[in-house]
Amino acid sequence: MNLNKIIPYKKMSLKELLTPDNKLMALIAVVLTALFFIGVINVLVHGHEIYNVTKDHPWGLLIAMYIFFVVSSTGLCIVGSFGDVFDFKVFAPSSKRAILGSIVTILSGFAVIAFEIGHPVRMMIYNVLTPGLTSAIWWMGTLYGLYLTFMIIEFIFLMREDMKNAKIFGLIGLLVGLAAHSNLGAVFGFLNTRLVSNGVFYPTYFILTAFITGIYLTFLMYGYYYRGKSFPENINNMLVNFAKIQGLLIAILIFFEAWKMLTGYYGGVPGRADVITHILSGNTFWLGEFMCGMFIPFIVILFSKGKATKLMVPASLIGMVGIFFMRYDLVHDTQLMPMQNFMTRVYQEMPGFVEYFPSNTEMMIGFGAIGLCLVLYYLGTKLFDLTSTCHAD
Amino acid sequence: MMQKEISRRRFLQGSVALTVIGSSAMCKTDFIYPKEKQKSRIPESITTKTTTQKAEEIPFLCGICVNKCAGFARVEDGVVTKLNPNPYFPKSRNMLCARGNAGIQTTYDPDRLKYPLIRIGKRGDGKYKRVSWEEAYNAILHGTDKFKGLIQILEEEKDNRSTIAYCNGEGLSKEGFEVLMGEEIGTVNYVDEVSICLETTLGGYFATIGTYGEADLSNADYLIIAGANRAEAIITPDTMDLFKRSKGRGLKTIVLDPRFTNTAAKADRWYAVNPGTDLAFVLALTYVALSEELYDKAFIEKYGVGFEEYKNHIISHKYTPEWAENITSIPAKEIIKTSREFMSAQSPIYYQGRRSVFSKNDFQLRRAMAIFQGLSGNLNKKGGIIYGEPLKLPEEEINTPIYNQAQGRFDKHNIAILSQRAGSWMVFRDMVVEKKSPYPVRAMFMRKHNPIAGVPNSAKTIQFLKQMDLNVMIDILPSDSMMFADVVLPEASYLERTSPVASYGLLEPAIVQRKAAIKPLYETKTPEQIYKELAEVLSKPLFEISKKYDNELQEEIKNRGEKNVYKEDGYILSDAWEKDVEERNRERVVKAFGEDAWKILEEKGVYYPNIEKYHKQINANEYQYYPENKKKYSVDTEDIKLVFNFKHLATKGVDPMPTWKDEYIFSVPEGKFRLITGRHAQFTQSATTNNMMLRDLIDTNYLWINRRVADKKGIKFGDMLEVKSKVGKVTIKAYPTEKIAPSQVFMVHGFGGLSQDMTMAYGNGANDATLLEDIHEPVYGAAVMNETNVEIRKV
Amino acid sequence: MARYGMALDYKNCINCKACEVACKEENGVLLGADKHRIWVGVNELEGEWPNIALSSSVFMPSQCQHCDNAPCQEVCPTNATYYDENHVVRVDVDKCILCSYCVEACPYGARYEDPRTVTMDKCTFCSDTRLARGETTTACQNTCPTKVRTFGDLDDPNSEISQLLRNREHFSLKANLGTKPKLFYLM
Repeated sequence: MNLNKIIPYKKMSLKELLTPDNKLMALIAVVLTALFFIGVINVLVHGHEIYNVTKDHPWGLLIAMYIFFVVSSTGLCIVGSFGDVFDFKVFAPSSKRAILGSIVTILSGFAVIAFEIGHPVRMMIYNVLTPGLTSAIWWMGTLYGLYLTFMIIEFIFLMREDMKNAKIFGLIGLLVGLAAHSNLGAVFGFLNTRLVSNGVFYPTYFILTAFITGIYLTFLMYGYYYRGKSFPENINNMLVNFAKIQGLLIAILIFFEAWKMLTGYYGGVPGRADVITHILSGNTFWLGEFMCGMFIPFIVILFSKGKATKLMVPASLIGMVGIFFMRYDLVHDTQLMPMQNFMTRVYQEMPGFVEYFPSNTEMMIGFGAIGLCLVLYYLGTKLFDLTSTCHAD
Repeated sequence: MMQKEISRRRFLQGSVALTVIGSSAMCKTDFIYPKEKQKSRIPESITTKTTTQKAEEIPFLCGICVNKCAGFARVEDGVVTKLNPNPYFPKSRNMLCARGNAGIQTTYDPDRLKYPLIRIGKRGDGKYKRVSWEEAYNAILHGTDKFKGLIQILEEEKDNRSTIAYCNGEGLSKEGFEVLMGEEIGTVNYVDEVSICLETTLGGYFATIGTYGEADLSNADYLIIAGANRAEAIITPDTMDLFKRSKGRGLKTIVLDPRFTNTAAKADRWYAVNPGTDLAFVLALTYVALSEELYDKAFIEKYGVGFEEYKNHIISHKYTPEWAENITSIPAKEIIKTSREFMSAQSPIYYQGRRSVFSKNDFQLRRAMAIFQGLSGNLNKKGGIIYGEPLKLPEEEINTPIYNQAQGRFDKHNIAILSQRAGSWMVFRDMVVEKKSPYPVRAMFMRKHNPIAGVPNSAKTIQFLKQMDLNVMIDILPSDSMMFADVVLPEASYLERTSPVASYGLLEPAIVQRKAAIKPLYETKTPEQIYKELAEVLSKPLFEISKKYDNELQEEIKNRGEKNVYKEDGYILSDAWEKDVEERNRERVVKAFGEDAWKILEEKGVYYPNIEKYHKQINANEYQYYPENKKKYSVDTEDIKLVFNFKHLATKGVDPMPTWKDEYIFSVPEGKFRLITGRHAQFTQSATTNNMMLRDLIDTNYLWINRRVADKKGIKFGDMLEVKSKVGKVTIKAYPTEKIAPSQVFMVHGFGGLSQDMTMAYGNGANDATLLEDIHEPVYGAAVMNETNVEIRKV
Repeated sequence: MARYGMALDYKNCINCKACEVACKEENGVLLGADKHRIWVGVNELEGEWPNIALSSSVFMPSQCQHCDNAPCQEVCPTNATYYDENHVVRVDVDKCILCSYCVEACPYGARYEDPRTVTMDKCTFCSDTRLARGETTTACQNTCPTKVRTFGDLDDPNSEISQLLRNREHFSLKANLGTKPKLFYLM
């Protein structure tokens, strides 16, 4: 069977494939990937004990990075669907690149989660044999599995320039992706006992921030592709429009966050107000989430009316740092309040907010997966023609 | 009810052989222990999950502290997998505490003494050589190039057997050691835990009311518990009876303790008494009761001795509540209230306490307490202090020699009354160290006792041990004191040995027997086996020495012939252990209670007359041991008395009536702290600090320091502190808390091990005995534990 | 089959931790402060020495609440957490994928990872040890010096626990979450 008939790709020698055009980026990708694998070997040898997660803080950096990746994926899926599903011609150039991005990010996310949960293989078996239908994790996992399938099919049709089928699978993929993603929000939203996370906020917030993430990543992909050059007219036009949308989205996000914090703080409900106070007294929120994730990109958009597309590239990089902190904080803040809120040892101080800092292995796997993502993206851009813009008509 | 476990594959195998039992909470599958099948194995993991397979359930008696709780050891494939409480024993009433449950870890402690050892290095450096039992016994006799043997020592001391001293901690095999050392080998110099524990309490109560008695806490309605922490220093059945009814549930509980203990936590009222001033409190209580005539006149009429003198004494000394307030820091109106409540209660108890000697006036305090109890008339009746009736086991006669060269006791310097059996550890040690003894003490035989951790001023104890020509240690773990032994004999733990039967209880008395759950591990032996073998080895050579120096013995030999004298006059020292423990137990029990009693005892570990008729399960947790009308609430005994004025004491220089003296006031200089010491429910003995399971609950001991004081000094939780007293210094972690007064610090006893061979205990935390000054009270020479000032410094 | 529950006369508790040790020995639980199936919780005392509020000094013995509506069961993606035939909340070690979602969801902090099986572990009411042998008490109940716990069948109106709950006021922990705990604290 001829693979090229299923999905058209550029034929090249292995040497050609392995010759990157940007040495620095290649080095970063390779080093990070190597760290990922060192981390993986570490955990395979020493087991989960090597993570800094505890009984009181069982979810750590790896969950945060998993969310980081799958949010990126969902975001890119949304961005990609603008062109090929919703037929906004101005956004059409981004479709192929965005869908490729959504595939490599979710694969990276899966790579991380595989080493976060204790038994990934067992998961696949019992997810099917004894499904826990009341579990948000079950729905999230299952839907993401489907989502990945649809994304790959969509990408194949995009490569084949079969826009009709791409559109169908793109739409299904988008819907499944949104369902999966809001379920990921619900993983936290369903936690009745974790007041700061419980409720409608995270499922909707996840969709919103996914969109924001998708646009940041689009800027980064195009910024990198056209590094040292100016954007072609059609691309620039598209990016200006993305920037304007981004401005709106960030404004909504700031509005959301403000009300989340205010409603959380109001009334001083124990387990919620004190957690909010703790969050608001920390740098990861103000510097990480707010300054990086919202304020700086927003200012760039606001003062340039979205036209500073080149400046938006570094702003988006800062934005992604902010997005990371949003993921990290959401995982950490959910677990701030210890469930055993008393002393169980004879010599102990009253348990306060649960503390956590990732171990080296967690950082190697979590951040190393960015390298994995970059390598996959690089191979995708080498093998597939992502530049030609296709239209449904 | 029968259940099958099918959901977990790995248990399928085990579920084939299910155990079915009736209503009883226990699982007893095989009481008659098949001796030939008995084998022991070291388990692979620290804890072993019990299986559903058939297992042996052997009755044992806990030995992790001194209390004696009964249980059943579950033995699976040669491993003790679980210790369960024994519901037949009225004393421990179907319970095992944290330490009791963790007893398994003592038996399987990897640091255990496994083989006999002979010292090859310097004392204290822990260098030992593994030897055979025979070599070890011979080393005791002949010594090595590193230390002298008994023969040489006794030769040099001309058969003065008292040159050998011995000490032993509480336990069922203690009496045997006393027989071996005191009767067979023939020394008078014996010290034990009593003089660092409850001697003054026992003395005070016996002198005053003729018994220490038993507090019937399950029927009392008012309790003053002072200087006793029953939530953390668990004594059965007191702990169970007390806390089931405290805190507004039938037993009004007044706690006096300088610390806010777990007992205080359960109190209706807690008075943070100034340490060592309880006597003033009791005298003031008495003052109120006497001046308001609240006491039981009929009772005093009948049993009182010297009441009027005491009354005049109290009133004329003006031991008023206002007077006591200044000394005790307990408000006068609280004292008045407490005294009135106590005297008007139906069944009030001023709890006797146990490990005491907190201050120099302790004997007088206990006298005053007993008198105050007597004033209420609540003695020898339900809900009061019970005289009761213990079950008696027949005494055994042994034939022991008389050593004419053995000299007498000398540990009476500065003390009024020499206790009968064991002397004062501290006075004895100090006189030996300071060379004040009339003859040299040159050998120390120690068993199940760690004086370095237990007797105040460790440095002096170490000096004492270093001074000996021969130190022998019989123990389970390589304790601090073991590090100074020349010959070490490893003993079987309490799960590996059958012990002599014992009788416990006054109100609901019972006979109890500890049976070996498993065979002794490694090369360890039971204490009785060790006594016997050691006696066998010593008999002839020591006889030869006596022959040389004892004129009367020479005379006897001339008259009756050596063989006869040797045999008939008890020089065969191993006589007492001719029969093994199992056989002796059987004989004694059958003799006293008959064959059926023995069968029940073997099966249940416990026996008392009519047990089968009386013992009933009331609910899932509780049992009836004796029907109400068979409990020995009131007995007809001549022991009942209430001695207010003990005139004979005056002849010994002791106050015949409890009197407060200004010298009792202890002051803490500015910048220093008074060190108080005590127990936690997880740690009592120094040996428990090497218990993995207990260490898992408390990793080390901490110094309690008042939070506000700590804040001022910048001391935070877990900071390392150097604590220094006149006699020693330690480092220990800080525990700032409001549970202690600003002028005091506290640490739990038993930590700070010196022995490197106890890997978990070594260097962990601080040893209170290192800091405690060697102060003893004047009556018995018992060690005073709470009269040491220390300074602290953050390091 | 039965519906097992436990009543705790918690005011009897003296925080001696016999229950914790008995549980570990019976069920072969690993050592380590974060690996206990049962525990006694203590609050910060109120007041300064010597005026400590006796009312603030409470010992709360606790363990898995074996909720009738267990959040840990609800969130388990593979149904590794299940209600056994006696309504005891159990973990099937063969199905557990160690996603830790149950730990996040449990309001009582009753779950921990057993590194030997790399799965979640928790109190089983001694179902696979004592109860499987036909015994009628849990290790923690049986060993307790002050007899805090009464274990039994809530569906049997004649059981001791049913009678206790009928006759004595009691409360459940975090009852507002609707978890319907089967641990009852007697007042």
